[in-house]
Amino acid sequence: MKRFIVVIVLLATVVSQAASIKHYSKLRYPPLGDIDIPDVQRLTLPNGMQLYLLEDHELPLVRFSTLIRTGSIHEPADKIGLASITGQVMRTGGTTDRAGDTLDALLESMAASVEVSIGLNSGSASASALTENADTILEVLAEILMKPAFPEDKLMLAKMQLRSSIARRNDAPGGIADREFDKLIYGPDSVFARHPEFATLANISRSDLAAFHRRFFVPNNVMLAVWGDFRTPAMVEKIKTVFADWPRSDEAVPPAPAVAYDFPKTVNLINRNDVNQSNIVMGHIGGLRSDPDYCPLIIANRILGSSFTGRLFNNVRSRQGLAYSVYGVYTANYNYPGVFYVGCQTKSESTVKAIEAMRQEVATMTREKVSAEELALAKDSFLNSFVFNVDTVGKVISRMMTYEYYGYPADFLQTLKQGIEKVTAADVLRVAQKHFQPDQFQILVVGRSTDFDRPLSVLGNVKEIDITIPPPPQPQKK
Amino acid sequence: MITQTHRRVFSCLFILLGCCATRTVAQDLAAFEERFTQFTLDNGMTFLVLERHAAPVVTLLTFADVGSVDEQRGRTGLAHLFEHMAFKGTQTVGTRDYRAEKKAMARADAIFEAMRTERLKLQPDPKRLDEWAEEFKTVQAEAQALLVHDEFQQVFKQAGGANQNAGTSVDYTLYFVSLPSNKIELWMNLESDRFLNPVLREFYREKDVVMEERRLRVESDPVGRLLEEFLGTAYLAHPYGTEIVGHMSDIENLSRPEAEAFFRTYYGPANLTVAIVGDVQPKNVQRLAKRYFGRLKGGPKPPPVRTVEPPQRGERSVTLQDPAQPFVLLGYHKPDVHHPDSAVLDAVTDIMGLGRTSRLYDRLVKKDRVAAYASAFQGYPGDKYPGLFMFYAVPAQGQKHEASMAAMEAEIERLKKEPVSEAELTKAKTRARASLIRSLASNSGLAQELAYYQVITGDWRNLFTRLERIDAVTINDIQRVANAYFTIQNRTVGLMETSNAL
Repeated sequence: MKRFIVVIVLLATVVSQAASIKHYSKLRYPPLGDIDIPDVQRLTLPNGMQLYLLEDHELPLVRFSTLIRTGSIHEPADKIGLASITGQVMRTGGTTDRAGDTLDALLESMAASVEVSIGLNSGSASASALTENADTILEVLAEILMKPAFPEDKLMLAKMQLRSSIARRNDAPGGIADREFDKLIYGPDSVFARHPEFATLANISRSDLAAFHRRFFVPNNVMLAVWGDFRTPAMVEKIKTVFADWPRSDEAVPPAPAVAYDFPKTVNLINRNDVNQSNIVMGHIGGLRSDPDYCPLIIANRILGSSFTGRLFNNVRSRQGLAYSVYGVYTANYNYPGVFYVGCQTKSESTVKAIEAMRQEVATMTREKVSAEELALAKDSFLNSFVFNVDTVGKVISRMMTYEYYGYPADFLQTLKQGIEKVTAADVLRVAQKHFQPDQFQILVVGRSTDFDRPLSVLGNVKEIDITIPPPPQPQKK
Repeated sequence: MITQTHRRVFSCLFILLGCCATRTVAQDLAAFEERFTQFTLDNGMTFLVLERHAAPVVTLLTFADVGSVDEQRGRTGLAHLFEHMAFKGTQTVGTRDYRAEKKAMARADAIFEAMRTERLKLQPDPKRLDEWAEEFKTVQAEAQALLVHDEFQQVFKQAGGANQNAGTSVDYTLYFVSLPSNKIELWMNLESDRFLNPVLREFYREKDVVMEERRLRVESDPVGRLLEEFLGTAYLAHPYGTEIVGHMSDIENLSRPEAEAFFRTYYGPANLTVAIVGDVQPKNVQRLAKRYFGRLKGGPKPPPVRTVEPPQRGERSVTLQDPAQPFVLLGYHKPDVHHPDSAVLDAVTDIMGLGRTSRLYDRLVKKDRVAAYASAFQGYPGDKYPGLFMFYAVPAQGQKHEASMAAMEAEIERLKKEPVSEAELTKAKTRARASLIRSLASNSGLAQELAYYQVITGDWRNLFTRLERIDAVTINDIQRVANAYFTIQNRTVGLMETSNAL
């Protein structure tokens, strides 16, 4: 009897231990806590500047972020680099009131920063400081936006730095692949793919910078967001004061140009002897976020290209060991079509094998419905991680400004969420068939062709792209 | 559920740090500690929990006190390879039939060992190797058919996980993920399983992936090539001289049993520290931690790194002739992070290398125009053991390395001969404080900092008290330290010279 009891007790212990460690699929979770998305204070100043303010007193920090309607898409073709340099020298060159080096010393002694940059489609000026320095950096930010001095020496410095990056642009194979592939898709002269050359930099003068600034940096082209440790009424007053003397301009900013793409099939090689790994990029034009197919495309992207869980990762990396980094994404931009990129880096000896393996994955997406499990994983991963879209004040404000900048509805994210909930496997197949054209890929390989498993010509007529950097014009300007 | 409200939520979790000059580090730390809980399980595993309820999210990070520095000669790359393997699942996650898998994997291991023995002979027999290679392929295919790819990551993604990843440094290995805060039990369940019953499936295939990673980061990248040569030149004896990813031939020769032995030695619970930052209740965390991680069995302490790098006797140098543009590296041996001079070197990093007003940027970029960029940093490749203080420059277009090198040398000499200004030192102290404040804004940043300071420096509070040490640095300290460490015989130079085109 005693032994029987002992056995019962032992069994009970074993059973209870086993019962307390469930298989993960049996776990049940409490409901997720509410997220209170705070209201962003919105107002438009008389001069047209749009303000977004959100207090957050967790830490003694204040951050400013501006979005300016400008971009390198507006620079003339013989002065590529103008927008980027204008942004840089706005920051480094100081203002009509204070020299650039003076501002450097002031900001860095306060552990604060103000930075300006102009990209393809927009400009940004951001600032960050401890609470006690918020007023000071707002003044600096305003001064830089309104009255940059564009001194010659800082223009020379910016040109030196940009010339250095031109000289280095062929050093690393990844950079070469990305740059050259965009030119294949958009065209080498397209505003979306072109890049500065020594000659275009040489054409840029300080009057060009001043003119570029005058044209775009007007208050009605500016959205200014502030978040952090401040009090809204005082901050609004301060902003009104520092930007009071900034006149507006109603010169319209042209929209981004349209992109024509006729799905050429090309095979391109950039031969390098200093690598033992090929950098492969292939694909074609992508789309816009406003496309009605955007939600199913988000799901298709997840199934095809997610790291760790997507088909490309599972098959090309985990199963076949062909690459460390493999990706596939149909990018959709706000105001101009993105690119459908599929690519990886693989040893020279598996180049063609990897190309075929990746293309096969895309082709399968266009032929067969995805499985119920894959669909559920893609939808669940989007919906269950939704909280990470809105978990910081910075994200909330930045998204709001971006949507407004590009003319998207304020509730666009919520619309996406509702759309994702409805996506079916049939939808995914339909959009894959419509938008993925694996037989119409352009293919680019940067690699050591003598070591390839098979010659690239098995894929089609090979064009060798010459990436020699055109030399600086003579005489070389400083 | 996400609700839109008109009520603003103020999370005054932290009493405002640094807003008045009179606040002390002690006051800041006290405020922080109100939200902080620490506990250690019976098996030695430590948990650090910081509450931050601004949003219903949490970052969970496992910090293993093992890095590539712990590897044996001939088996480099093991720490990083294991990190990859830690995503392959367990006896119940990632498999259709573990028992069958186990048999197939054991057969694969046996064939691999036989192949390796043959391959490493002075005169290997190619016929035998080919036969084994065929058999190996078959067995691997059998094993692959039994597994479920990437189930571990899938489960987290499906549950709403974000930014799941891991990383290996010379000193430590990290595994992290962010989750909606109602799902921490999922993390407890899977993370504990992964360190209780890891199965190193697809091991030999994953070696292929790691070899591609090595080609990507080191062999096919000019700066990657230079850094590998530089590290090997700077270090005579200590494992810091080897790249984290390991040597290619070592990776090729690693076997699964060796990786399993590595895991048993270095991944015992006493060698693991977990940092959890976000919307959690410490009592709940503790309850779950005990239930899930309490299962891990303690074991003997892992062996320490024995080799001590001897003092450098004379200048070392390596120059690569490469198609790429020039690059200049200077490294000086310095003590580890525990040494009192560490705080002084933090100040030196700021003065010499941080921002547009740093001495290097000011001289090489703004004034002399010989470099497009120049900076300095310490603790390369790591700082648990004596590492290097680094200076580097990216020469300007049309310039070779000589002008940048001369300018950097001049600035280093100036630091040794002339005291720095009060303004520069104050700036360094202000920036150290502001940098700490900024780092408190992110769950994932905080989790990593807390774990790092706890494990590497012995106490997470050093994240704050480090500021006191920096505040105590004097102008004399800087001059003393510069003269002690920045000497020619303690210097390693790494140069990239542009050779003719590709």
